[in-house]
Amino acid sequence: MLKVSVISPERTLFDGDATQVVAPAYDGEVGILTGHAPMMALLGRGTLRVSESGGERRFSVEGGFLQVVDNHVRVVTEKATAS
Amino acid sequence: MAKGRELKGRIKSVEGTRKITRTMEMVATSKLKRAQDRVVAARPYAQSLAQVISDLYTPELAERFPLLRQPAQRSGGRAAVLLLASNRGLAGAFNSNLIREARGLIARLERAGTTVDLHAVGRKAIGFFRYTGRQLASTRTDIGDRPTVEHARELVEALMSDFIAERLDAVYVVYAKFNSAISTPPVAERVLPVTPPDGKGPARDYILLPSAETILSELLPLYVRNAVYRALVETVAGEQGARRTAMKNATDNAGDMLNVLRRTYNRARQAQITQEIAEIVGGAEAL
Repeated sequence: MLKVSVISPERTLFDGDATQVVAPAYDGEVGILTGHAPMMALLGRGTLRVSESGGERRFSVEGGFLQVVDNHVRVVTEKATAS
Repeated sequence: MAKGRELKGRIKSVEGTRKITRTMEMVATSKLKRAQDRVVAARPYAQSLAQVISDLYTPELAERFPLLRQPAQRSGGRAAVLLLASNRGLAGAFNSNLIREARGLIARLERAGTTVDLHAVGRKAIGFFRYTGRQLASTRTDIGDRPTVEHARELVEALMSDFIAERLDAVYVVYAKFNSAISTPPVAERVLPVTPPDGKGPARDYILLPSAETILSELLPLYVRNAVYRALVETVAGEQGARRTAMKNATDNAGDMLNVLRRTYNRARQAQITQEIAEIVGGAEAL
């Protein structure tokens, strides 16, 4: 299980468990599963997909970064909207 | 009873004023609640950003980033001061505290031979500096109770590019720090050059996409913008907190005043009745 939070300056858009995260990195999509090595990646513009047990949530993001540490995924971006 | 009527008039007017201050207190309380929520909601972002920057930051990298450029140790130079105050008054000493903090900072800078551009947000700040005859580099009054990241960007973007182009050597923000609803001290914070959050350098072996340098250069502007956004949000919350306190005091004072006035009024009324009775009794006895 991954712990995922999606954070924008105004608020935390998502905070919960997920099985998989696909994020639009600056040079293409990256997928993250449990046990991923610590990573820091710049984000580009695109759709962030967070797969939960019940389904999938999508956010459109632009810029910012993604951090993976010990199965915690943090997406920090100035522009994020749930879609 | 001329005195009685006069007192009655004053009681009416104080009651009217109390009604207004009590309403303003309640409005400020509800706005404060919302503003406070926004301050809290802004924290995770600021923390994550600060943490990542401190993870990536190493002093060796510092020299390569224009936003981290330390001002050359020469006298003179040019600094920008961004003063955030409110559009409306009746908030106690809130705006005057901010203005005093800003003037103190400007005086310090100017004593060191620095030219200071003052950028003012909020009608109260603008009004004061117009009155003192100081030139304002820019003014804004359209940021209301709900500042956004977009506002922060508009405020700081030009300053950031001036800083990168070395037309500015430092940028300060004067705002009200929101410790709690009753503690909103004015503070002056230097946002440029960026003071990197304390860090021990790369804490882990991160996979870096693309590189520490590129990530930092992307994130530093975000960090600066967020510092301004946070200042805006805290100032709004501070303003509502200060207004609530001021209006609560005003309401309480009006209550005390009413008690005294009512007591005086009743005493005067009683005295008059007693006197009338005494006159009637005196008159009856004379018959």
